[in-house]
Amino acid sequence: MKYQSHQIALNFYTASVLLFLVQALVGIIAAFQFIWPDFFILNFNTIRTLHINALVVWLLMGMMGATYYVVTEESETELWSIPLGHLQFWATVIAVSAVVVGYIIMGLNPQANIEVFGTRLLNEGREYIEAPRWADILIVVSVLLFLLNCFMTILKTKKFTAVQGVLLGGLTFLALMYIPGMFYTKSMVKDQFWWWWVVHLWVEGSWELIAAALLAFMLHKLLGTDVKVLAKWMYIEVGLVLFTGILGLGHHYYWIGTPEYWLWVGGIFSSLEPIPLLLMVWDAFRTTRETRGVVENKIGLYLTVAHAIFNFVGAGLWGVIHTLPQVNKWTHGTQLTTAHGHLAFYGAYVLLIVAMIYVTLPSIRGVKEFNQSRGFQSFWWMTISMIFIVITITGAGMVQTYLERLLGLDYVTVKASYNLWFWIFRAIFGVTFIVGVWMLVKDVLILGRKPAA
Amino acid sequence: MTTTSAKNLFIYGSLLCFVVLVILTIDTMGKLDQRAPVITEKVDAGKKVWHKYDCIGCHTILGNGSYFAPDMTKATERKPKGYLKKFLIDPRAINPGTAMPSFGMSEQEADDLIAFLDWTSKVDTNGWPPKPILAAAAGTRTASMGQMLFQKHDCSACHQIQGIGGTAGPDLTYIGNERPDVEWHIRHLKAPDAVVPDSAMPGFNDLSEEELRQLAEYLITLK
Ligand code: HEC
Ligand code: HEC
Ligand code: HEM
Ligand code: HEM
Ligand SMILES: [Fe+2]
Repeated sequence: MKYQSHQIALNFYTASVLLFLVQALVGIIAAFQFIWPDFFILNFNTIRTLHINALVVWLLMGMMGATYYVVTEESETELWSIPLGHLQFWATVIAVSAVVVGYIIMGLNPQANIEVFGTRLLNEGREYIEAPRWADILIVVSVLLFLLNCFMTILKTKKFTAVQGVLLGGLTFLALMYIPGMFYTKSMVKDQFWWWWVVHLWVEGSWELIAAALLAFMLHKLLGTDVKVLAKWMYIEVGLVLFTGILGLGHHYYWIGTPEYWLWVGGIFSSLEPIPLLLMVWDAFRTTRETRGVVENKIGLYLTVAHAIFNFVGAGLWGVIHTLPQVNKWTHGTQLTTAHGHLAFYGAYVLLIVAMIYVTLPSIRGVKEFNQSRGFQSFWWMTISMIFIVITITGAGMVQTYLERLLGLDYVTVKASYNLWFWIFRAIFGVTFIVGVWMLVKDVLILGRKPAA
Repeated sequence: MTTTSAKNLFIYGSLLCFVVLVILTIDTMGKLDQRAPVITEKVDAGKKVWHKYDCIGCHTILGNGSYFAPDMTKATERKPKGYLKKFLIDPRAINPGTAMPSFGMSEQEADDLIAFLDWTSKVDTNGWPPKPILAAAAGTRTASMGQMLFQKHDCSACHQIQGIGGTAGPDLTYIGNERPDVEWHIRHLKAPDAVVPDSAMPGFNDLSEEELRQLAEYLITLK
């Protein structure tokens, strides 16, 4: 290990892949509950909450680990404060565990979710941001400590690189966009209006900035490409992400009680959102093609390119098919949304974190050669399974849209009989997915520790 | 384009977009209250109950949330309030096959929730959810008087016949075999809870004797 600070990055990576395993496990339970609602002691809503919260938290922890790594490497120095980094890690782990315990208690006894100081003690009852207010505050404190540590490190050496700028800019934007989700409104319309600021401006705004910065970092580290060229394209990409993504927010304001002009704003700007994502694919291919000489970390490069491709397919293509109001009117809130949600999160962010782990872990462990085949196997188990999950759920969404929304059949009938086989297939591919996750976890624990075969 | 100009374009362009978003947000906030009914204390209390039991973990509302259970935006238009209240307090007592669990909700909470759902059903959602367009085309076959009454009074909101209709009440596909007695049906339709203890089905005593008989005769043809 070149820098002591990299131990903190490694801790974050380890915690994040372990939570990924938990996420996939509860995902399978949720999938079985579509077939047998009483499959488990906790009801579907609690399981789903655990599934999506684990997802968001492990991705954030992965981003934090990646950022600690990038900042030390780009600044060529240790973090401003290593103890603060460790403290921030353990504080995050403890806060997250406390929230999870709260969800489980509330799942077993709904009446335990009492009101204190005008907010709920255990579960706020709002999708993705279920975490209660006291936890929101802890999360914000943790993120601020993290940002402080990173900014002070950069100030220490005054090396203001483009990658660091966009990365920390994205992370600051992320922290700010958590605030619109932290107050109560009496109107359900306003509630959802601000809720989308958090959810949409995260995944289609700040998180994409982080992705573009990490993409440039990885391409540079893997291929030695000129930073100037990478930086220029990175700025163009993130510029286009925000020009389309900020007003693209309108694609969530078609039917929630907001004025009609959002149909135009959302329809036009969100349709353009795939363009920067396509540019990132081109960027990854161009830099790879222009590189001479052998690339040592093949799995790292493979995952980086796969991330760019699946970001475009999952977020861009699966997003754009239902983003026009004329289509969304029929598909809004159906299984098609789930299909898009899965492929987008997987391509854009799961593969991003997994790629960052494979790009940086060898350096953290101080090895050049390592067994790469486990990484490839894990990638294919996860990716093929995810593709099949998305195909089955896209099928379910099309059947649902046709029978329920166009023909007027009852929701429960469509779910319980017409779509039954899709639920069964999703559960099966969920099990094969977790095989890949398990391989990933094992590899993160042992990679580079034993001599390569 | 140089790196610096790309950087400046990114920074100033994004700020501009954000400013436009803020302006649109201010405009929208000014318009929302005219697009929805007044929020009474009861509606607000109902919204809090909605959050307390994490209804969003299974249902969508205004189309957002989870896709495990039906959308709640127009719930009070689909089902009578008396039925909803009984269902919310103890779903499985009303509909043994339901996937919705019981939360131990009080009567007060159920009333508040219904007020809240009544509020959302009246929000101007630009026409969402849309009316099924193919249903009208499919339903043009000739029907008996009884069958027409069945449609007119929206019995299929709660009952299925050959796979079409809701699942809140029992399936009526073979009701003619199960209950072949016209008089039973007339009494039941008038006042369900006088025939079936604690029935959650609404009474249809605004129908004339003639209409009730036609409806009952239609029911016993279902075999
Ligand atoms: C564990 C998942 C779950 C949770 C949590 C849940 N529901 Fe349900 N609910 C369902 C399912 C599934 C149905 C579909 C009915 C069936 O299965 O027969 C349903 C049906 C309903 C219906 C009848 C809708 C209709 O049109 O027939 C209402 C009303 C309802 N739920 C309200 C609520 C409210 C209010 C809450 C929060 C207090 C809530 N539900 C929480 C799963 C859930
Ligand atoms: C809000 C939902 C709802 C509506 C609307 C509704 N029902 Fe029912 N119905 C029920 C429930 C719940 C039961 C079970 C309790 C009972 O038998 O009364 C039931 C029971 C029945 C039964 C007895 C079934 C059996 O197997 O014993 C018949 C027949 C029936 N309904 C006919 C009708 C007709 C005809 C209409 C329209 C005029 C109608 N229902 C409207 C909820 C509803
Ligand atoms: C990486 C980026 C993206 C991620 C992670 C993502 C994820 C998601 C998720 C999880 C939802 C469901 C939200 C909910 O639970 O209610 C959603 C909804 C939606 N997304 Fe994306 N998305 C991304 C990018 C895009 C893009 C680029 C587009 C359009 C071009 C798009 C279009 C939509 C639309 C229209 C909906 C609403 C669906 C509905 O009406 O039910 N998304 N997205
Ligand atoms: C083991 C494999 C998985 C299974 C079986 C699974 C299953 C499920 C189920 C059943 C739901 C509830 C959907 C609904 O409400 O109808 C869900 C929601 C969700 N899952 Fe997964 N999941 C898996 C893996 C993943 C992965 C890897 C991701 C991230 C990439 C993910 C992201 C999400 C998101 C964002 C939601 C909520 C939003 C939405 O419904 O679109 N899941 N999942
Ligand atoms: Fe969006």
